[in-house]
Amino acid sequence: MDSKFSKIIKNNMPWIILIVISIIFSFFSPNFFKIQNIINILNQNAFVIVCAIGITFIMMSGQIDLSVGYQMSLIGVTIGLLNKNYNIGTIGMILIAVLMGVLLNILNMTLSIKLNIGLLMVTTATSMLYQGLSFTISGSKAVGGFPDSFKKIGQANFFGTRIPIAVIIMLFFAVIMELFLTKTYWGRHIYAMGGNEDASRLAGIEVIKTKYLIGVIAGVFVGISTVMLISRLGSVNSSSGPGTEFTVLIGILLGGVSVRGGEGRLSGVVAGILIMAILSNGMQLAGFGVYLQYVVKGIIMLAAIGIDVYQLNHQKIIDEKLN
Amino acid sequence: MNNDTILRISHISKKYPGVLALNDVSFDVKKGQIHALMGENGAGKSTLIKIISGAIQPSGGSVIINDTEYKSLTPALSSQLGIGVIYQEFNNVPSLSVVENVFLGKKIGGRFCPDQKLMNQKAQEIFDKLGVNIPLDIQTRRLSPAQQQIVEIARALSSDVKVLIMDEPSASLAMAEVERMLRIVKSLRDEGVSIIYISHRIDEVLDIADTLTILRDGKHIETRPMKGVDRKEIIRLMVGRELNETYPARTTPIGGPILELEGVSGNGVHDISFELKKGEILGLAGLIGAGRTELGKVIFGEAKKDSGTIRYKGKPVDFHSAGQALSSGIGYISENRKEEGVFLNFPVDWNITISALKKNSRYGFVNRKNLEVLADKMVSRFRVKTPSQLQLVRNLSGGNQQKIALAKVLALDTDIIIFDEPTRGIDVGVKQEIYHLMNELIENGVSIIMISSEMEELLGMSDRIVVLHEGRKMGEVMKKDFDQQKILTLASGIALEDKE
Repeated sequence: MDSKFSKIIKNNMPWIILIVISIIFSFFSPNFFKIQNIINILNQNAFVIVCAIGITFIMMSGQIDLSVGYQMSLIGVTIGLLNKNYNIGTIGMILIAVLMGVLLNILNMTLSIKLNIGLLMVTTATSMLYQGLSFTISGSKAVGGFPDSFKKIGQANFFGTRIPIAVIIMLFFAVIMELFLTKTYWGRHIYAMGGNEDASRLAGIEVIKTKYLIGVIAGVFVGISTVMLISRLGSVNSSSGPGTEFTVLIGILLGGVSVRGGEGRLSGVVAGILIMAILSNGMQLAGFGVYLQYVVKGIIMLAAIGIDVYQLNHQKIIDEKLN
Repeated sequence: MNNDTILRISHISKKYPGVLALNDVSFDVKKGQIHALMGENGAGKSTLIKIISGAIQPSGGSVIINDTEYKSLTPALSSQLGIGVIYQEFNNVPSLSVVENVFLGKKIGGRFCPDQKLMNQKAQEIFDKLGVNIPLDIQTRRLSPAQQQIVEIARALSSDVKVLIMDEPSASLAMAEVERMLRIVKSLRDEGVSIIYISHRIDEVLDIADTLTILRDGKHIETRPMKGVDRKEIIRLMVGRELNETYPARTTPIGGPILELEGVSGNGVHDISFELKKGEILGLAGLIGAGRTELGKVIFGEAKKDSGTIRYKGKPVDFHSAGQALSSGIGYISENRKEEGVFLNFPVDWNITISALKKNSRYGFVNRKNLEVLADKMVSRFRVKTPSQLQLVRNLSGGNQQKIALAKVLALDTDIIIFDEPTRGIDVGVKQEIYHLMNELIENGVSIIMISSEMEELLGMSDRIVVLHEGRKMGEVMKKDFDQQKILTLASGIALEDKE
């Protein structure tokens, strides 16, 4: 079962599932395969994918971050208010978003490293903290009045084509970070650390530095993702963002990143998020109720974890005669 | 410093709060020698190698490598100086490919991106040199323990290693694999690499070492050439006293069959038939992967039996859980003591009584008095060395942990014990005590199935040995016919020609 063909199938499982699900939904709804619907799906989910790119690095190292959505809420409200009160402009908003993303993730990482507890526990606490801060400074009110150039990021198309700018940004980062992860030393160190932290440290990999690197990368993409989200919405309130963490988490798992870390690829993650998106979109077009959609998504997530564990337990040990 | 000395340990001490782990230890390691480092658990071997590898810093003294004195080292510096370490617990990243593990943490290729082709080529060269054939691109978790260890040796060789430290390299290998590993170690020595070889297994050390250093209680006892050293002498140096009759004899008569297996298959074993007699120690021999532990788990109800019959005291039984087997009087003591044998973070009495809670309770409420009595009885019966019943098992020595695992099983009225690697990682002195305990159990009417990878122990303790190979029974050897060669032959899957 180790032939080239079965290996290609296995490595691209998320894309195969994506195609199968798309075909199924095209029977339910004739509108599904229309170009405009597909562009809409991509456009609406570009920010989720960009966010997932960053969070994939965290999951790859064997950790789970639950605070992403609340980070986005806090970042979005902050840059919205800074723009409204101090007129920091598009560039200022982007820079501060990225900077805040990095700071919040470094804070999560530092707490996790210094207290020697999992990121899951840390971010359970900090998500509450970030949410509270976000509501406090926004006063639960929406903030708008973004500059036009800022709104274009999430609303305009790329130079007279029908492709939204957000989709271009998403593709650009997906490709760059896939290359970073698979081709560079730092990317491989992240895989190694996720697979076995002790072995990595003893092999001379700077585990702590690598963790902070992961924090920085995750932060950058959370910041960019926030910008993409609120520029598409045209305004921001403290409820913009929360919820994203679970979509991202499920998408990454569906994309083949192992819950134990050390395994998976970004191309799979893109497919994983799109699977979730198409499920929502397809089920809506097919007239499924919202509650039923939750049931379906829950079952799919269980299946994704189950397959991951099953594959691990059923790997054949290679022990052919040596010598 | 002589020019054939490559590494000098000079007055090294290491203080921990309340403990002096190493006390003024000095000795030289010569170029191109296999230097055995022996001592009981707690003698300071691991602390010493951690100092040489830079994982911890000494409180005093220095390490001299190639005429340069180092008051302390870091992992990176130590590795630069040509010191490689293969730790006891395998240190591979299971999710990465073999080739990535060989070059873990190293930069082969350009400034930013590794060169996959070059890595493959270099890894293949190393494996060729070692004379082994391991596929380069598969995930390392799919390799057997023996192969994973070779990957680690390859990692050490991928940098220019001058001193290779091996901490209990044979602990998780079966007999034939140990032989191959020893061959590799010898060929490395012949190429001029110095090897510091830490092992509990005296036979291995007698076989390969050129020089012997013994540590006891953090102190350096002796460093001497292996010539003229025998097993007794090594034990005397390690323990500090004479130990006689390593394998104590038994006088208990062997009775009729208590457990009979007929064509048992499942959990990776096929068509196994044998019987265990009352008052007998039945040895289960075989290489790693032969299915010994797997068979033990089938008998114990931990794994599913697909076909065949198990008769216990004459009646067919079919246990679906460990709990059922335990309450019927069959106990299993795992080879993974720390994971499956004891609860490290719980106290002694808690550990001993955990299986016997139901027996000592009424209407679901446990009888504390009974449990206290039981725990006290067990601690004195097994001579567990612990300051109190409330001591966490984590803080006991390996031998005493093993006694606790045994006591836990015997807190129920147990008739059969499946004992998986009873003395793995246990000191010579305490080993004997375990053997005495096993004999005591036999005298009290218990029968034992002993799974072991140590040939000496199998031959010394068993009344009969059943040999498995790749999940099948290869043969059965009676005590009068015990012979190491015979068992090794069967274990490697070759049937004996002259079957009496």
